[in-house]
Amino acid sequence: MESAETNAAEGYQVKIEVFEGPLDLLLFLIRKKKIEIHDIPIASITKDYLGYLDRKEQINLDREAEFLFIAALLIYIKSQMLLPREKNLAENEDPRQVLVNRLLEYQKIKVVCSLLREKEDDQIQLWRRDFLPPLPGESELDFMEVSLFDLAESFFVMMKRKAAEDFRVIKGKDVTLEEKIREILAALEAEGSLDFLDFFGRQETLEEAFVSFFSLLELIKSRTVYAVQEKLFQTIRVWLRKDPHRKKTS
Amino acid sequence: MTDRIKPIIEALIFISQEPLTADKIKGVLEGVPAEEIDGAIAALTEEYASDARGIQLIQSGGGYVFSTKPEHDAFIRRHLQIERKTKLSSAALETLSTVAYHQPTTQAEISAVRGVDSTYTLKTLLQKKLIKIIGRKKAPGNPLVYRTSEKFLQYFGLNSLDELPSEEEISKILQEDKDIEP
Repeated sequence: MESAETNAAEGYQVKIEVFEGPLDLLLFLIRKKKIEIHDIPIASITKDYLGYLDRKEQINLDREAEFLFIAALLIYIKSQMLLPREKNLAENEDPRQVLVNRLLEYQKIKVVCSLLREKEDDQIQLWRRDFLPPLPGESELDFMEVSLFDLAESFFVMMKRKAAEDFRVIKGKDVTLEEKIREILAALEAEGSLDFLDFFGRQETLEEAFVSFFSLLELIKSRTVYAVQEKLFQTIRVWLRKDPHRKKTS
Repeated sequence: MTDRIKPIIEALIFISQEPLTADKIKGVLEGVPAEEIDGAIAALTEEYASDARGIQLIQSGGGYVFSTKPEHDAFIRRHLQIERKTKLSSAALETLSTVAYHQPTTQAEISAVRGVDSTYTLKTLLQKKLIKIIGRKKAPGNPLVYRTSEKFLQYFGLNSLDELPSEEEISKILQEDKDIEP
């Protein structure tokens, strides 16, 4: 956001990227011109709106399609308003009405957004015990299901990185699952928690990297460790499980 | 009586990972009159509110939970070695607000309100467990139907969806915004 607004010679310039979508941009233009939402001067707003789109050097279809859609809508409304009519339009037949309704609805959502953001700012300073990875309870099953998928995704990412290194080892040393598990556990004892992506990166060969991933799966299965991944493709953090009760029962 | 049940309630809330509802407390303390329990909770809340305490008893997600106080945030982050907690992106927050106000709702409806395709953002919100799928709509394509989750309330420190601003309150805020602008 910081670099999005620049004071150029012609005054205030805002890049299109800062807007959440076409409605956000439209609302911004309306506010800037201090226009009444129910009575939008379509011609001038369309000109402004297209002006913003023109600043784009290239069109990224994924994102700009939505901007172009509203542009088309604006032009359509403009044409509707220019067309001569046999009789005057009733109030509810205003061609702008569809757009106005959408803007009003969107405006409400924006208010809710800012209220929720305030609440988030407050809440973010309050720490609860559940901030640390939750103790697996009844929800363990679907927790595992989701994270296994994530683990596999991350695994492929890591594999790709590893494969990209492309150096050859004449004769790799044989690593067993047991050895790797012991290595991971030793690292966990020493460091408390482990950045798995980091650990994975330290492996010398692809085979070793392979084995360490399966060791992690094994450790999760035997409920010796937790593995938590906050976002897809982010690192997996591994903790030693300190839950003697659970060990006894399993 | 209050003095006897107060430490019990304190213990119950302490061991709960999720906010503990008053109903659950009442279930455990069978036979104790509800007013008695409410009184004890109020007394506990007041005790914890004292400046001498680093922990407070708050109501969130419809239940009671202990949390730290905002003024100690910096120390906790230093202790946990966390620079700052990640906030929701503006796209995520906008989508979440839309779900909150239009629920139960579908991807198509949300995208229409925002004017932006929201498929990906919905996926992220599902992963964060801030929204949930409650079924499919009996409409062409049987689209998935979304609602905000319990975690949504907890995340924003709300106790129920009724605490979200009403239509009138939103219009009032919009009116005020307009009045401020010269």
